Amino acid sequence: MKKALMMNAKDNVATALEDLDKKTPVSVILPSQETLKEVTIKQSIPFGHKLAITGIKRGDRVMKYGEVIGNASQDIENGDYVHVHNVKSNRMQMPEIWYREEE
Amino acid sequence: MKFYGYERPDGSVGIRNILLVMAAADCSEPVARMIAEGIDGAFSVTQHYGCIPGQMVANTLIGVGENPNVGAILLVGMGCEGMPASALGKVIKKTGKPVEWISIQESGGTENTVSKGKQILRDFSQKVSGLKRGEFEANKLIVGVKCGGSDTSSGLAGNPAAGVFVDMLVDAGGSAIMMEPIEAVGAEEPLAARAFNEEVKNKIYKMIGNEEKRWSVPGAQMEFMCRGNVEGGLTTIEEKSLGAIHKSGSRPIVDVLENTDYRLEKVPKGGGVYLQDGTHMEPMAMSFMAAAGAHMVLFVTGCGGTFGHAIVPFIKVTGNPDTFRRMSRDMDINAGTILTGEESMESVGKRIFNKVIEVASGSLTLGEKLGYDNFSVFRQDPRLEALLNISK
Repeated sequence: MKKALMMNAKDNVATALEDLDKKTPVSVILPSQETLKEVTIKQSIPFGHKLAITGIKRGDRVMKYGEVIGNASQDIENGDYVHVHNVKSNRMQMPEIWYREEE
Repeated sequence: MKFYGYERPDGSVGIRNILLVMAAADCSEPVARMIAEGIDGAFSVTQHYGCIPGQMVANTLIGVGENPNVGAILLVGMGCEGMPASALGKVIKKTGKPVEWISIQESGGTENTVSKGKQILRDFSQKVSGLKRGEFEANKLIVGVKCGGSDTSSGLAGNPAAGVFVDMLVDAGGSAIMMEPIEAVGAEEPLAARAFNEEVKNKIYKMIGNEEKRWSVPGAQMEFMCRGNVEGGLTTIEEKSLGAIHKSGSRPIVDVLENTDYRLEKVPKGGGVYLQDGTHMEPMAMSFMAAAGAHMVLFVTGCGGTFGHAIVPFIKVTGNPDTFRRMSRDMDINAGTILTGEESMESVGKRIFNKVIEVASGSLTLGEKLGYDNFSVFRQDPRLEALLNISK
């Protein structure tokens, strides 16, 4: 089974260690390589990108490394792809023009 | 751990024996380049803020000239600039290393200056070529840590492996410098928790707060993360910062080195982890770290960055296995083995330490082998600093 890495016990996201195909189960592992649980992912997630390993309500903190990396800008379900479309920084936002170029 | 370096007259130890030709301003850069051309071990550098660039640029150029990797230095000036070559040279000369300066106007124009400059450089070459490397403990080493072109592998593998190395270096009595004023936004708490005392804790918050002010000016559209960061999976500045600070390891932060128009603080004797104020932009950050005394820089990349520096060797580490596969002839250390489960963080940290000792003893980095000689200088604009009410 493909793997995703959870860095800290407080985290609610994990990082894909390979490209993950949608609707497949993924094994969430700890830095010790120990398996914590399985999550079935909702959308395809590229290597290095994040998935929710629990439901996260809009406005709730998104945790990685045991620290806050931003807040959910919409409700996120267990197994959802987590990135700039559903998480906002609490500190500094990138200019909007930059996101338009991305589309 | 011991390495072989060149002892300088001021007691510092260099790991390279560079003949540096430094143009005080970019107007005299072509002449500096013509002088260095064809002379073994010579590099020419300059800055691009004109001939009245301000004290912050002067501090950097002087610090670079004083860096022990520079065996001898020739300063070249037009003659009429506000920051003359002679003024820089007189300060650098206090290190006791061979220092000379020439003015294009006084030397009688381009051809005469190039010919005179080459003669000085050949004399330097003869002097420094006779120097022998001696054996020194790793506690003499000062290593900068920097990341760039980060993706999520940087925070999961490359930077933590660099952090293991930094802990080993500091435990051996050496020093590390991290310069990430903006890539610490959102990571203040874990950094402050490592502050040596209350004063250092306040300096950490002040440095990061100042940088956040500079990059979040209402009405100004500022990009502070690159496209590769977001395509590589990094969502916010907080996530990027929390990954970036891993490369400074876990030992106490001894101090924040000031880098302003007033002064550029150097790494003091005694070892430990230092934060240095400056910029997150890599080639410019490297000049600041060189000016603070760094012998070399450990560069952690996710997407893959291929550059170097004229003064300080640049050891490149990637935590992304795919980047290493694509760019193995640019990347000195493959930390991608951590994400593939082939190797432990500790094992990669040890490999980095061994590479640092090899490079310190004269072994070329891949960037040096390829001839990378980037050099650029950064300054804060004093007008903007005043308008934003940046506290010093």
